Amino acid sequence: MKGPVPSPTAAARVIPVGGGKGGVGKSFVTANLAASLAQQGKRVVAIDGDLEGANLHTCLGVPKPRCSLADFVAHRRDDLEDLLLETPFPNLRLIAATHGNLGTPQPGHARRVRMVRAMRSLDADFVLLDLGAGTHSAVMDYFMVGDDGLVVISPEPTSVENAYSFLRAAFYRRLRLAMASHAMQEIVVLAMDQHNERGIRTPLDLLHEIEASDPEEGKRFVETMKAFRPRIVINEAYTAEDVKLGFAIQSVARKFFGIECDYIGYVNHDEKARQSVRDRRPLVESYPESDAAIYLNRIAKKIAAEPIRVG
Amino acid sequence: MKRFSEQNHYEILEIPRSATAAEIERAFRMAEAIYSEGSLAGYSVFGDGEAAAIRERVETAYRVLTHPESRSAYDAMLGGRESAPATESSGEPVEVIAATEDAADPASRPQRSAQPRDDLELEEEEPGEFDGGRLRRSRIHRGIEIEDIAGWTKINPTYLRFIEEDRYTDLPAPVYVRGFVTAYAEYVGLDAKQVAASYMESFENGTRRGRRGRFLGGR
Repeated sequence: MKGPVPSPTAAARVIPVGGGKGGVGKSFVTANLAASLAQQGKRVVAIDGDLEGANLHTCLGVPKPRCSLADFVAHRRDDLEDLLLETPFPNLRLIAATHGNLGTPQPGHARRVRMVRAMRSLDADFVLLDLGAGTHSAVMDYFMVGDDGLVVISPEPTSVENAYSFLRAAFYRRLRLAMASHAMQEIVVLAMDQHNERGIRTPLDLLHEIEASDPEEGKRFVETMKAFRPRIVINEAYTAEDVKLGFAIQSVARKFFGIECDYIGYVNHDEKARQSVRDRRPLVESYPESDAAIYLNRIAKKIAAEPIRVG
Repeated sequence: MKRFSEQNHYEILEIPRSATAAEIERAFRMAEAIYSEGSLAGYSVFGDGEAAAIRERVETAYRVLTHPESRSAYDAMLGGRESAPATESSGEPVEVIAATEDAADPASRPQRSAQPRDDLELEEEEPGEFDGGRLRRSRIHRGIEIEDIAGWTKINPTYLRFIEEDRYTDLPAPVYVRGFVTAYAEYVGLDAKQVAASYMESFENGTRRGRRGRFLGGR
């Protein structure tokens, strides 16, 4: 399995990794999936998209990045290829997010669009994009870079709540772009306010509202719903109940929001995982025999095996 | 995309029309957990009284579908138009957990084409021995707790744990163990025949070794 495999297509497959809440293990999961894909012979670039809390470089054993995405944001560099850093692991390169401008850490919209385009053109099979916490517009724009981004959730109320907010925000943002008429875009914006006067609480409520007003837009809505296929990873699962949580969230998202999520796996709680973070190395490299590494490898294999989605 | 009020009993439980008794039970327990008061997956989503109303619908669906007569009558009422599971192409709810392939009643056995996708696909192990550890992993991969299995099979949870821990000499006579393992596998959604044959082989070897061990140990 080792050794680079030629890329099947010119465009890199960009996989954003979000989740809404900080501290659920997004960077840990991103670093390990990137390392695992690289171990499988894929050419991988891991990008730290968290310009306000960069730490992917640490998870990947790159202590002091000499350049970062912040250089692109500040217009010091225009080509993402120039920001690529080697990691200690074959096939795996990094774009860090260190030394950002604390005053204006996020790029403006035009710069963001350009950044996303540049990510797709990177010379790699997979680009894994570690996102920051929250549902800031920049985070959501990055999450929209693919239809099937990962949502990392830990089995805690705060994480689950934020994950739902994240899923809703991602869906509404995508939907607003899909609507052709200004009137329907306005309804989507209205629905984003949880206390809107029309009583639209969920994407399903919104669908019924839009279908009633404009059946053509209703069709576009359904198409957008079908294309949006976020994938759930439960991190730090201790019990079977925690594992079940992934299925439960999948069911609630489907029934209440009309969002079809794929539950692609869980990573169990493992002391070795903590140790790997302390060692500043991916778990799949340091402790490949640990349970958590085995589960991470399975998720990575599943990602690698899936055909590139269109639409 | 249907609202809850428009969903039939199968859609409420997210199971295909061909669901086996074990699948219905699993789906019911999952739904019970999701819509229970304070459920981690749902508390932040459900409005006031919403979870209770859905729970009532879930319980009705379960009651109707677990009795062969009421299920037949309900199926007749639904008609044949949805006889295939509404999962593959329609975008309707799909089943949450893998189907049982070796259902007790062949008539209720799911069709191959109707197999729901197993999103986790975490059982990578090749065909081979089903020991307690593998059974436990299969159960956990599907988010099933020992108590879920005990509730449906009426098997003492202690015995289910002994099975998972390969504590052969603490288990009762082989005829009971075979029954326990078969029921366990059916609930979890494994090939019950294959699992029982494999586990019983280990069990026979294990109990033989256990007896010899006791003898050699001077007991």
